[in-house]
Amino acid sequence: MLTLNDLHATVGNPVDSDVKPILNGLSLNVPKGEVHAIMGPNGAGKSTLSYLLTGRDNYTATSGEALLDGIDLLAMEPEERAVQGLFLSFQYPVEIPGVPVMTFVRTAMNAQRKARGEAEISAPEFLKRARAVGAQLKINPDMLKRPVNVGFSGGEKKRLEIFQMLMLEPRAIILDETDSGLDIDALRVVAEGVNALRSPERSMLVITHYQRLLDYIRPDRVHVLAGGRIIASGGPELALRLEAEGYDRILAEAA
Amino acid sequence: MGSTASLLPIANPSAAELALLERYVGLRADPRRERNFAAFARTGLPHRRVEAFKWSDFRAQAGKPEGWQKAEVAGDALKGLTHTVIGFEGGGVRQPSQLPKGLRIVPLDACQAFAGAEENPLGALAAALADRPALLGIEISELLEAPLHLVFSADAALSFQRVTVIVRAGASAEVLESYLGGAGFSAALIEYELEAGSRVTRVIFQAASGPAVQASTGQVTLNTGCRFAQTVLASGAKLARLETHLVHAGAGAEASLNAAYLVGGKNHLDLTSHVRHSVAGGTTKQLTRGAVSANGRAVFQGKFYVARHAVKTDARMAHNALVLSPEAAVFAKPELQIYADDVQCAHGNTVGELDALQVFYLRQRGISQPQAQAMLTRAFLLNALSDGIGEPVLAALEASLDDRLGAMFAEAPV
Repeated sequence: MLTLNDLHATVGNPVDSDVKPILNGLSLNVPKGEVHAIMGPNGAGKSTLSYLLTGRDNYTATSGEALLDGIDLLAMEPEERAVQGLFLSFQYPVEIPGVPVMTFVRTAMNAQRKARGEAEISAPEFLKRARAVGAQLKINPDMLKRPVNVGFSGGEKKRLEIFQMLMLEPRAIILDETDSGLDIDALRVVAEGVNALRSPERSMLVITHYQRLLDYIRPDRVHVLAGGRIIASGGPELALRLEAEGYDRILAEAA
Repeated sequence: MGSTASLLPIANPSAAELALLERYVGLRADPRRERNFAAFARTGLPHRRVEAFKWSDFRAQAGKPEGWQKAEVAGDALKGLTHTVIGFEGGGVRQPSQLPKGLRIVPLDACQAFAGAEENPLGALAAALADRPALLGIEISELLEAPLHLVFSADAALSFQRVTVIVRAGASAEVLESYLGGAGFSAALIEYELEAGSRVTRVIFQAASGPAVQASTGQVTLNTGCRFAQTVLASGAKLARLETHLVHAGAGAEASLNAAYLVGGKNHLDLTSHVRHSVAGGTTKQLTRGAVSANGRAVFQGKFYVARHAVKTDARMAHNALVLSPEAAVFAKPELQIYADDVQCAHGNTVGELDALQVFYLRQRGISQPQAQAMLTRAFLLNALSDGIGEPVLAALEASLDDRLGAMFAEAPV
């Protein structure tokens, strides 16, 4: 279960003294086995939330808590959070020139296993699994030999995020605008990958602008994030209502 | 001492310079040796007020002769890649018992003239003080199947070598050079004369584990249609300078100068190069990539000189450096001097830090911060090594780089 209690957070480098408050009392529970969607207008704090939870520099919680199955995420380094099973599918996956996908993913898997006191995955076992997951996501095997995200199309980058997710099998997943840059076929493939990971042991948080993604990844709950807090929550029908009415109406109701 | 000192036109010679003079006086008299020594003596041990040495002060770093103890020899990344090894090690020179066809080693009895002496004090010093048996001529007259490996790890306080490599028309060879310390103060001069249409791949590995002061000067002459590909992997020393002087003397030659450096601890590494395009249609591609950490200091000085008649020259230089800690420093001076029209010349120079977002991306996947930094640094540096060398040599350099990265980014014990 992912539990966020009254989170307040700022973004910015205190040295440059341009720190902005960006979350203002956000509370949210994503129980195991559920998929929750967060929707909201531009600048609502959606991506901030994903960076805060994963521990990017200059995203600072000033009060409140974020727990993964009771473990305090905010006290940990980014890699420790990953070892605990927290995974972020980036809105803008990062290019890593000179590091082939396979090397990168295997290094990540083994780093996590080592930190958990597990044995490393053998090269043949890794290869077998990577091939199977690659096929499932309709990834060209050549793509896995290329440097991470370098020269990839928007769709390929998102597919690679899902590839990593399936390989690493995290227990809490944040998907940040995973639909952006995807055509309809790619969207379906990516959604199938995400749905394959739905399990009673896993919590998923899907951040999106548009309702479209939620046709493929059906959420249990939908939350509207605006002004740094959740202003409305509901079932999947809330997403449809937002799509029909836009954000203005619901913002006005909350005010 | 008073009488010998008068031979030295150095104002206020240091104790180190007097010791070098003493070494010179002990050698057989020879007018060419004298000219070489005189060329060195014009500057003496070059120091920070000499423009080309403003960031690498040999006079200060060479210290006092009492400090020139023999130093520890570093491990050799290139060891075991060939049977054809010439080792300037221990107190002498080890030569292969059998030479491959097309390779001749000629011990030189007399000191040779050194044309570049005037511009090149450390090369001139090596030329003046190298003596039998560390004075060799090498003739390559065919395609050598296996590399030739020169290992510099003399076991002495002072060490000087001079090797002249002549590559006959149409011949080709891969030459590996390892500079491993061993001496307190060492200087080597390696000259390559490539006759028309010949090819040389030169690979330099430099490392030191003790407080060594090392200088290696390469003087390369390319004739018509030659190909010369140089690759360096270096980690510095108390002070290490790898200097390359390359002349396009014949038209249409192609040169590549690649280098990667990883300088940590209190090491200092200086990569200086001077490429002269004297004739038309030459190509030079130079890529240097480096990273400095802890109190490491790196110097890159690269100069392209394009003479008036050297039209259609294509010369490109790039130096990119990563500074991994606040106390580390990189000093860079790229220079183009162009007197010809109709040429393509460019240089680029960047110094920066690792990309924070890249580091975060790796960490989000569970890779520790030091390991993420090591991976990114490795990828950055390998870019400058991957071109122009064969698989076994590249694999050996990569393994060495990985060792050093592992040590540099070693996680603090829990």
